[in-house]
Amino acid sequence: MQQEVVLAMLAKEPTHGYELRARLKQALGPVGEELNAGQIYVTLTRLEKAGLVTARPTAGVQERPDRKVYELTAAGQQRVAEWLAEVSWPRPDLTEFHLKLIAAAAARLGDPLAIVDAQRRELLRRLRDAQRAAMAESATSDAALLLEGIVLRLQADLRWLEACERTWTTRRSQS
Amino acid sequence: MTALLSARGLCKEYGKGDALVRAVDDVDLDVAVGETVAIMGPSGCGKSTLLHLLGGLDRPTRGEIELAGSRVGQLGERALARLRRDAVGFVFQAFHLMDELTAAENVELPALLAGRSPRAARRRALELLDRTGLADRARFLPSALSGGQRQRVAIARALANDPAIVLADEPTGNLDSAATLDVLRLFDDLHRAGQTLVIVTHDSRIAATADRLISMRDGEFTDETRLTGGTAGSLGKLAGLEG
Amino acid sequence: MGRLTLISRLAARDLRHRPVQAVLLLLAITAATVTLTLGLALNGVTSGPYLRTKAVTNGPDVTASVWPSAGEQPERPPSRDGLTALETASGAVAHSGPYPVASATLRARGHTVPVQAEGRDEALAAVDQPLVTEGTWVRPGGVVLERTFAQALGLTVGGRVSLNGQSFHVTGLAVTAAVPEYPGVCFFLSCNAYNGQAQASDMGMVWLTQAAARSLGTSATPLGYVLNLELSHPADGAVFVNTHSLAGPSSQSSAMTTWQQIQNADNDLVSVAQQVLTPGGWLAVALAIASVAVLAGGRMTEQTRRVGLLKAAGGTPALVAAVLLAEHVLLALVAAGAGLGIGWLTAPLLSSAGAGLLGAPGAPALTAGTAGLVVAVALGVTLAATLVPAVRAARTSTVSALADSARPPRRRALLIAVSALLPVPLLIGLRLIARRPRRALLGAASTAVTVTGIVAVLAAHHAYDLVAGRFDWFAGLSDPVSGRVSQVMAVLTVVLLTLAAVNTVIAGWATALEARQPSALARALGGTPRQVSVGLAAAQVLPALPGALAGIPLGIALFAVANSGGVVSVPPASWLAAVVAGTLAAVAALTALPATLGARRPAALILRSEVA
Repeated sequence: MQQEVVLAMLAKEPTHGYELRARLKQALGPVGEELNAGQIYVTLTRLEKAGLVTARPTAGVQERPDRKVYELTAAGQQRVAEWLAEVSWPRPDLTEFHLKLIAAAAARLGDPLAIVDAQRRELLRRLRDAQRAAMAESATSDAALLLEGIVLRLQADLRWLEACERTWTTRRSQS
Repeated sequence: MTALLSARGLCKEYGKGDALVRAVDDVDLDVAVGETVAIMGPSGCGKSTLLHLLGGLDRPTRGEIELAGSRVGQLGERALARLRRDAVGFVFQAFHLMDELTAAENVELPALLAGRSPRAARRRALELLDRTGLADRARFLPSALSGGQRQRVAIARALANDPAIVLADEPTGNLDSAATLDVLRLFDDLHRAGQTLVIVTHDSRIAATADRLISMRDGEFTDETRLTGGTAGSLGKLAGLEG
Repeated sequence: MGRLTLISRLAARDLRHRPVQAVLLLLAITAATVTLTLGLALNGVTSGPYLRTKAVTNGPDVTASVWPSAGEQPERPPSRDGLTALETASGAVAHSGPYPVASATLRARGHTVPVQAEGRDEALAAVDQPLVTEGTWVRPGGVVLERTFAQALGLTVGGRVSLNGQSFHVTGLAVTAAVPEYPGVCFFLSCNAYNGQAQASDMGMVWLTQAAARSLGTSATPLGYVLNLELSHPADGAVFVNTHSLAGPSSQSSAMTTWQQIQNADNDLVSVAQQVLTPGGWLAVALAIASVAVLAGGRMTEQTRRVGLLKAAGGTPALVAAVLLAEHVLLALVAAGAGLGIGWLTAPLLSSAGAGLLGAPGAPALTAGTAGLVVAVALGVTLAATLVPAVRAARTSTVSALADSARPPRRRALLIAVSALLPVPLLIGLRLIARRPRRALLGAASTAVTVTGIVAVLAAHHAYDLVAGRFDWFAGLSDPVSGRVSQVMAVLTVVLLTLAAVNTVIAGWATALEARQPSALARALGGTPRQVSVGLAAAQVLPALPGALAGIPLGIALFAVANSGGVVSVPPASWLAAVVAGTLAAVAALTALPATLGARRPAALILRSEVA
């Protein structure tokens, strides 16, 4: 769970651990289904160690992380402000796949076209799943917007795979 | 399971000699009842031509088509028209709605052409508009509807005579993302209701919902997939949530 | 100058691009201009031949005649004193006669015809010596016939005729300027009464020896007398007639006729043709406007994209309109020229002065006025039909012109609702009409114009038949007037029908073109090709019906007006029904062809948005 995201979710007011989990679940919908509770608390512990968050146990109950109340420190708030102003975009990892195809062709390890087809099929399956999830959501939920983004990205990736297929087909017919 | 639609050796050629173009080249296709088949391919690969052949809107140069038990190639123009009327619902990319008719009048048109009484046709049209979520837009002209709504009217029209098979040519070609979702939902409903669908598209969103996905290039089928099985990763991973 | 070159180049290229449409336009306007030219050119065409005949035969400037009044006791022949007095009247320089004139019955070749038999000397007369064109002049036992009359009877020199029972043989045929040629002989009451019956308007003219003519006079039909006068000032014939009178006792009637009146009567033969052709010409013009409007209007919408390009390249609306009009104006000028030429060449066929005058009238004078009027009419027709679409096209905003969005049809809720209740072909037809109601109106109007013309022609035929039915001796005799009228009306009918056919084909083709998308869609949704083509035909026939029905009263009215307020002739109901049925059938047949051709093309070709 990315650190800055958790920080930002604490920015409004001090929050219980379980409330934090609930808010995340609501914002992510089906995407967050497999989100592990443990991952969040690991992140919170790291943030505590880094001095960006403080944890206060509620009266009476010790140790259980979801009962603790977490709060941003001044350093934490500053970090949130900086994060909000950043404009870097999540990096798509096309380079790895591109190199995979070239390596397979050069070293005769496998048929690039078969690799492309397999990847395409996988992406189509993911697209199917994402679409089904999107259709199950109501049009105004937060999760619906996120799912649309996932779908559109998968579409873009699939278009690139089609281009890969065209190019590698031409290369094969030329060789 | 006998196929509802069965095509063998379909060919469609234009021109002669040097200028000969094979828009559809020796295609075989079987579509079972209740199946959704998506045919994908880049522009110019012949998929729209193929769909027109399957729907009886054009005659193939060679090959046979059997639809709902009739051999399409042997039918005269009048019998072909009746087949189109009763067994096929066609959805065009350009919608092809009549601009001067309201949504309800557009949807009831195939029923009127089939000779049903105006009242029955109108009732059916309103039913279908309700099913496609446009009940409150029945009296609107196409110019007052958004692209997605117009396509949904076109889909309703294709269903007017309760056809055995619905053929859709790039149904989301002219639509934006939100309208596409509406149309996808509609196709999903139809699929669950048991309607046989053949959809031609270059949009992977539609293709991903099909039972069978056929790739087409230069008039030929190059690949066929069934998207069975789960995915290699969860949605969370897709979304960039580190595990 | 550059702009003019641009305009003419664009216009020429567009015409070459669509030659069929250009030819159809040309045909429509030319038909109208030919008819109009004929009507105008036939004005006063026989004056030449009449004057020639008058000069050669030394025709009279004034003829005076007396005869016993109808119903009077026939014992006493009329007195010749009045005529004798005229011989020495001031202004008269020469005379011939008085000659006896008998009303007789001529029987020949199975025909029985009333004639005026004038008694003449064998010697040549000073005034009015009819010119013998075949055979010889009068001699005992012989009769000379007026040439047109002889042709109508089918008689030649050497034949035998019987006059009032006496047998004569035909010694010659002659032409004269003293009476109008057959059948205009009797007019202005210069004929004797015949057995007390009303004047027959078709008596023939014959000449005999004086003795023979006198012998023909009976107690029942006594003789009259005619005097031919030559005046010192021929132009003053009317003055002479007014200043001198022939008034006598009431037992006799008299009349004086000037040569100008006789010339007009001869002209009547041709003027009848003109009377029919001129209103006919305007009918043809109306049909031509309709054709041009449909063709040009259709082309204007096709040109929207061109308009957009011109405007985007910097053309002003005026320039754009000029380009759009230029090709039509060019066609109009060519059509006017062709119409003038064809009309000028064919006018002699319709204006031949008849056998009773000397010589062919020659090509009718093509005055600058006629030519100017025809050109103006051709231009007027074109502008009337093309101005509005051209201006509208020029004013379309550039963006929408480039997007080539044709004017979307307006919604006609009532027609749409009604059509849903009808069988499929009528549903299609009615909805097609609802898309372009103005074109349907135009179709109704042109059918109305066509039927008006045909009904007027039928009314004329019926009127002549009525008149013919009253007198037995018309039967079997070829009446040159009605023959000529039939000829002219046949020409007019052919022109009108051609124009109407062209009009219908154009409209049907334009409708089929415009209906391509809806009819392809109808076929894609399950309409059979027959339903669609019947629907297309219905879209033309349904508006034609009220038009055809309206044409009936209009045609009857037109004939009544053209006949100078004469008999209102109503053709029999069976004829009218046949016209309406025939018109509708023709409309259906002419539109069935483009409709069926259109229905053959695969629907997919029309509906596909892109090749895929």
